[in-house]
Amino acid sequence: MRNSGLTRRDFLKSGAALAAAGTLPVSTVELAFAESEKSFTFAYISDAHIQHIAGDKFVHNWDRGLIRAVAEANLIAPKPDFVVFGGDLAQLGMKEELDHGAEMLSKLDNELHCVMGEHDYYFDLGEYWSKLFGPHHYSWDHKGVHFVTLNSVLTYDEWTHNRWPTAKQRMVEMAGLDNPNGSPFMVGKEQIEWLRKDLEAVDKKTPVVLFSHSPIQKIYKGWNFWTEDAEKVQDLLKPFENPTVVYGHVHQIQYNQIDNISFHAVMATAWPWPYPQSYAQAESHLPKLTVPMNRADPFFERDATGWQLIDLDSGRVTMRYNLSSNTNRTVAYNPKTGQPEDSAYQLAGSRIPPQNHY
Amino acid sequence: MKKLLFVIVFAAVFLCSVGFCADKPPGSSPPLGLPAVIYPEDNPQTPAKIALGDKLFEDKRFSTTGKVSCSNCHAADKALTDSPLSVSEGIRGLTGTRNAPTVINAAYFKTMFWDGRSPSLEDQALHPFVNPVEMGLEDHEPILKIVRSDPDYVKAFKDVFGKSGEEITMTEVTQAIAAFERTKVAGNSLFDRWYFAGETEALTPVQKRGFGVFANEGRCVSCHRIEQTQAVFTDNRFHNIGVGINNIQDEVPDLAREFLKAEATASEVDVKVLGDKRTSELGRFAVTRRLDDLGAMKTPTLRNVALTAPYMHDGSLKTLREVMVHYNNGGVTQEGDRVNDFLSGGIRPLGLTEEQIDDLVAFMDALTSPEYAQPAQKAGGK
Amino acid sequence: MSKKALGVTIGAFAVAVVAIGVATYADEFTDKDVERWQGEFMSVVEKGRALWTSPDLGTNGVACAQCHPNGANTHPETYPKFQQQLGKVIALRDMINWCLQNPLEGKALKADDPDMVAIEAYLAHERRGVPLDPGKH
Repeated sequence: MRNSGLTRRDFLKSGAALAAAGTLPVSTVELAFAESEKSFTFAYISDAHIQHIAGDKFVHNWDRGLIRAVAEANLIAPKPDFVVFGGDLAQLGMKEELDHGAEMLSKLDNELHCVMGEHDYYFDLGEYWSKLFGPHHYSWDHKGVHFVTLNSVLTYDEWTHNRWPTAKQRMVEMAGLDNPNGSPFMVGKEQIEWLRKDLEAVDKKTPVVLFSHSPIQKIYKGWNFWTEDAEKVQDLLKPFENPTVVYGHVHQIQYNQIDNISFHAVMATAWPWPYPQSYAQAESHLPKLTVPMNRADPFFERDATGWQLIDLDSGRVTMRYNLSSNTNRTVAYNPKTGQPEDSAYQLAGSRIPPQNHY
Repeated sequence: MKKLLFVIVFAAVFLCSVGFCADKPPGSSPPLGLPAVIYPEDNPQTPAKIALGDKLFEDKRFSTTGKVSCSNCHAADKALTDSPLSVSEGIRGLTGTRNAPTVINAAYFKTMFWDGRSPSLEDQALHPFVNPVEMGLEDHEPILKIVRSDPDYVKAFKDVFGKSGEEITMTEVTQAIAAFERTKVAGNSLFDRWYFAGETEALTPVQKRGFGVFANEGRCVSCHRIEQTQAVFTDNRFHNIGVGINNIQDEVPDLAREFLKAEATASEVDVKVLGDKRTSELGRFAVTRRLDDLGAMKTPTLRNVALTAPYMHDGSLKTLREVMVHYNNGGVTQEGDRVNDFLSGGIRPLGLTEEQIDDLVAFMDALTSPEYAQPAQKAGGK
Repeated sequence: MSKKALGVTIGAFAVAVVAIGVATYADEFTDKDVERWQGEFMSVVEKGRALWTSPDLGTNGVACAQCHPNGANTHPETYPKFQQQLGKVIALRDMINWCLQNPLEGKALKADDPDMVAIEAYLAHERRGVPLDPGKH
């Protein structure tokens, strides 16, 4: 299978080739053609973690990741409809980090929508972030699809406002993924209510895509691969025919199906994270559906990082992962089985050694 | 007696330095420090085939002007390159865009050319004949005409392949050339003797320090591979290290989009990349159209690198020291130049001291195989 | 004191010693000893944990835990192994030093540096129970 298919035309060509090879059902490709005037593509870049050292020095490695993703995104023709930044632009929520990151994002030759991440939020509760990027939650419609962005990295008021003596301390505590002093992510009552009202007005046949930093699932609490009120959000999405959640935070390939909701994780541009099952002392619930990404080779800094192109075809998401130094991956919704599936590796017999994480 | 001995030794050294004892007879074990060569099943080595390949390699009639053969750019007395040319010269002195890689140890590459556009030695041999700036032929017919009619070739092809007349195709021609090239393997350098044969004094103290930089702070070993039992000094992968592409950074989007729009055959890519310098800088991207390969070139072997100046795919770095400085700067030749957006994740500023750089350069001298070493080198000067 | 008194004192002492549970021979150690020594070990594990999450191990503020939460994906049970990117068989501490020098842009630690031992202790502790599998890629 060619892995260079990055224009829409190339994708359709490679989709047809895959259909011939029997790894994608023919009906998906047929539907794509049938609905082609409704299909469109947008780019998704996430988890840049721009980290300030001192003065005008930032961690070189994370800078290069965002620079590369932006430069590559600008090469895509035809141009994606818009770009989403999936959260964690900064590492410790510092103004310098958000500014440096925003400057790199400004090189994107496209409309930008941003999602809040915990590394952006917990220093000043998103105040400076709002100055740069606007509201923390919002929705908009595009070509017949309803898009919603939530700030899904909130947590208990007690932890946010009373627990820590300084804002800096609070940010540092939340920044540690495995920090036992952390606190679980949630969307919170206020946003759930806002979401309920927002979705009331949307026809149930309209495809809905939710952008969130946390997974809107409960995968592994120890690393906050977790949304405490996930079920409440899922309940609001279930009445729709074609709901999808796209989330960041996990820095790895994940995908899942819960009832009629599809879930797709995006890669980080900064660095990869281990799969929870590689922590020997804890139980995790990584979706069984997920075929893991290839194991990271730290000797090449961009390995196991990347960004993605997302196609909306017939209301469902096809996630095309652009993986640095790696074979690209495509995870597409399969209407026959009603779940997202990897276009090359979903069947057990087609796994390859680098996908074995232990 | 001493005089006679001197003459014999001198003759041996001289002959070895011009490559007369470089060939490995088929079936013998690989040189010290190298793994076994993998021979394709459909192209086994025989002495007659190797001799035929040598003859084809040297034959200047396979060009429009009758003046260019493979050995023009891969000369036996220049470690099978055309050092000190930056880019090679074909018919009528026409230049391409790329520096001729050495054929020595090319048998260990998994793909050929700087951008890996050719999957084998056999396939690689097809292309220079029909490139406008190399041998300049329209197609391979002139070659086939000669090998099917020249009496020496007629006999040789009959002996080697049992074929004659129309039965002789470019397959046989390139198989013979490839078989010859597969004998051009050379190890047994001072480094090999030190690292694999336990000769603790084979390297000077400076060179030993240089090896330390190579394996640690210099990070060289991650692409220029050395292993426990052998060292080919390449990972057979492609990396953008910021040479050449840095000069066309603003043009990359337009150039890249052109390639993304239209699929090109391997032959078309061959002509395009040697014909236009800007296109050449796209590197492997022109072959695979993967964004990941923008500006990426194949990691060359470092064996005999002291003999093959100038360096990089465009011959733009004249000395080994310039090479080390480029890496130390983190993928730019002049410190402070803009780093290109598509730089490989393995390249970053290294913070080496001047002494470490000198040591690293000294270590490079230890990678020369004795059969190719120049007399001056053997005497220890440079 | 008188001989008898001395004998009684020694006897009483011996009884007391046995009663308190102080081992007086090399092959004797008690549950309390083990508990205490385990505590000594865990104190170094905790130090290792502190180093693991510290932004000051290198020079750029990056902490090991950023890429390896709870030491995951370090695979201490597979060392020594042939580290293909370095082209040779190395021990866990060599890989730790590689990370210190590269992603963390810092300096290598000596093998007997208490910090190195602490980091190794922390990683082994987070990986406890996983069988040894040296050389596993």
